[in-house]
Amino acid sequence: MSFFEPLPAPRPPSDYRVSAWARGPEGMVPGVVPVALLVARTSTHAVLIDGLLVYPTGFDFDLVVRRHPGQPRHHPDPRGWHELRLEVRFADGRSADNGPGRWPRPHRDKPPDPPWLYQSVSGPDGGHVWLWGLPPPGPLTFACRWPAEQIPPSQAELDAGLVLAAAARATSLWPDPGPS
Amino acid sequence: MSSSEPPELPEEPSEVEYRRPAWVEPPADVVPGIVPVELILARTPQRAIGLTGIRAYPTGFGCTLHLRLREDIPGEQSTFGAFNMFGEGVDPAGEFADWYLRFGVGFADGRKATNLDHKRDLDEIPAPDPPTLWLVRWEGYDRLAWEVNVWVWGLPPPGPLAFVVEWPARGIPESRVEIDAGLVLEAAARAVPIWPDPPGR
Repeated sequence: MSFFEPLPAPRPPSDYRVSAWARGPEGMVPGVVPVALLVARTSTHAVLIDGLLVYPTGFDFDLVVRRHPGQPRHHPDPRGWHELRLEVRFADGRSADNGPGRWPRPHRDKPPDPPWLYQSVSGPDGGHVWLWGLPPPGPLTFACRWPAEQIPPSQAELDAGLVLAAAARATSLWPDPGPS
Repeated sequence: MSSSEPPELPEEPSEVEYRRPAWVEPPADVVPGIVPVELILARTPQRAIGLTGIRAYPTGFGCTLHLRLREDIPGEQSTFGAFNMFGEGVDPAGEFADWYLRFGVGFADGRKATNLDHKRDLDEIPAPDPPTLWLVRWEGYDRLAWEVNVWVWGLPPPGPLAFVVEWPARGIPESRVEIDAGLVLEAAARAVPIWPDPPGR
């Protein structure tokens, strides 16, 4: 008799799916916005929007914190990471931000009205953001403030047409109907 | 001072000067130039690997890998059995070699960097010769989609720049897509300093 019990059978595939409003469609490769944005700059810190990758349902980007190479790097304070506030504003006045608020619960609540912002990663070097919803033509504004690091309210604009053009270039990986 | 008093403790340093070496991350003081590439490196009826958004700096470039599974496959590992975030835990020459997703970049002069290169210590001296490859961000959503941000230290010479993948256990043979390295070099030249004035002026 073996000392070890027989291995359990592999678990069946999970039915869990991230909701459509919480990430890009998994069956696509996104289109790329060909610019990176400098949103804020002080003598010690800068905040960039980088890696803008666009799907027909919304877009991903990195919220990047940079520290001046000539400045000593402080001990990271986890309480401060979450105080980097980001707001994305559409030309029609709608907006979304990473402020504290109730998150919709997948599969139970109806999808949030776009735009809706989900920051999946948060740390001393910034984070990663998914924005549900595409902007209308016009200026697309990224605004931030970070009181803990003395970054005052700052903003930069992007032509939303670049985002819409990238959305149109997103590619379906398996355009034919799925296997039956 | 009586012997019962505790000795004075050295003050804790309030600041840390340590910075990660240049071969694991982009320079802190530069806004990158972007090459809007949108590539499908490999695609089978069940899996696909895409590469998008080259961010070019004077010292190297970053990009995003998209790992996609069309539908659940029984026994598929939640991480796709692909990269390990820290470059450890998988022996690419061992029993599980075929399960290891290979990814690399190849320069026109024959130099290359892959995720099979030996794991390096951050304090390695002397610094490795470019190109090197480093996984910066690794994020999965469910079993169908993963995103991996990669940093390549070292700019390619003019000529073809190859992105190569192979995933034997997943039915993906060695697959290669090439772009003109001039696109990356031009984007690196468009990178902008964040703080144009040298420190101290």
